[in-house]
Amino acid sequence: MIQPQTHLNVADNSGARELVCIRIIGASNRRYAHICDIIVAVIKEIVLNTPLERSEVIIAIIVRTHKELKHDNGMIIRYDDNVAVVIDQEGNPKGTQIFGIVDETQFTMGKDTIANIKTSIRNADMNRKGTIQIGYLNKK
Amino acid sequence: MRLEKCWFCSSTVYPGHGIKFVRNDAKIFRFCRSKCHKNFKMKRNPCKVKWTKAYRRLHGKDMTQDSTFEFERKRNRPERYDRNLAENTLKAIKKIDKIRSDRASDHIKNRLKTGKVQRQKEARKQLELGIHLVKASLALAQDSSLCLPKIKVNVSQAQTEENQPMEE
Repeated sequence: MIQPQTHLNVADNSGARELVCIRIIGASNRRYAHICDIIVAVIKEIVLNTPLERSEVIIAIIVRTHKELKHDNGMIIRYDDNVAVVIDQEGNPKGTQIFGIVDETQFTMGKDTIANIKTSIRNADMNRKGTIQIGYLNKK
Repeated sequence: MRLEKCWFCSSTVYPGHGIKFVRNDAKIFRFCRSKCHKNFKMKRNPCKVKWTKAYRRLHGKDMTQDSTFEFERKRNRPERYDRNLAENTLKAIKKIDKIRSDRASDHIKNRLKTGKVQRQKEARKQLELGIHLVKASLALAQDSSLCLPKIKVNVSQAQTEENQPMEE
């Protein structure tokens, strides 16, 4: 349930560390964003010596929320924090690695932007770089 | 589809029920209902909360060691489908369940055996003190058959006057 003014952590190595949501992309008066939604955010904190600047307006996709996500099959999942991944207009992620837990099946269906990030999540060298990926239902 | 155990109370979580919480270190906590979820959020330790299975096992209230538990271990290797094996397994599940629950109730029965005499003594004492709730004292005096055979209830006037301050 991300809304404007929400602080989000960043789960990739694009250079941003903390974002503040400004706007939710979608319908004009959309109130809240959940996992898999795209938001416009401003960077509040950065990692030094990276291409991104502080107060830069970027687009991000939400990968983990503290608010529960309800699947159609009745499964309800809640994470520990609000986390996003920085992407560009086409939907390609700006970083090369994604850290932490991402439920990749969330990004399976729909638009191209989401498909792009899913491919990059899969392609990212996750397990060796200290990132953890949990599968869907039956794996754990 | 897999039937999971609730992290807090150890009851089975069926699909469509409960909440799954994924912590940042990738540990997954499954809860069967909001009661367990809320207790977890309150940071309660299930080993100290009396109604959970963890407490009961830890304090010896429920059976912990039994060979029937071996059947229900989590196995990560999928078995190749064999119709006979599946059929036999389904039959065996029922039998093993019955055996396990019988043994568990026996365990509880044995545990409660040792206090039986004490509980009877307490019950007898309570009846003796509270006989006025069962039958009025005058009625007891008039009809001696209403008295319980083993308990002597002295219903003389002097006695009741003496007893009244005690009962209060």
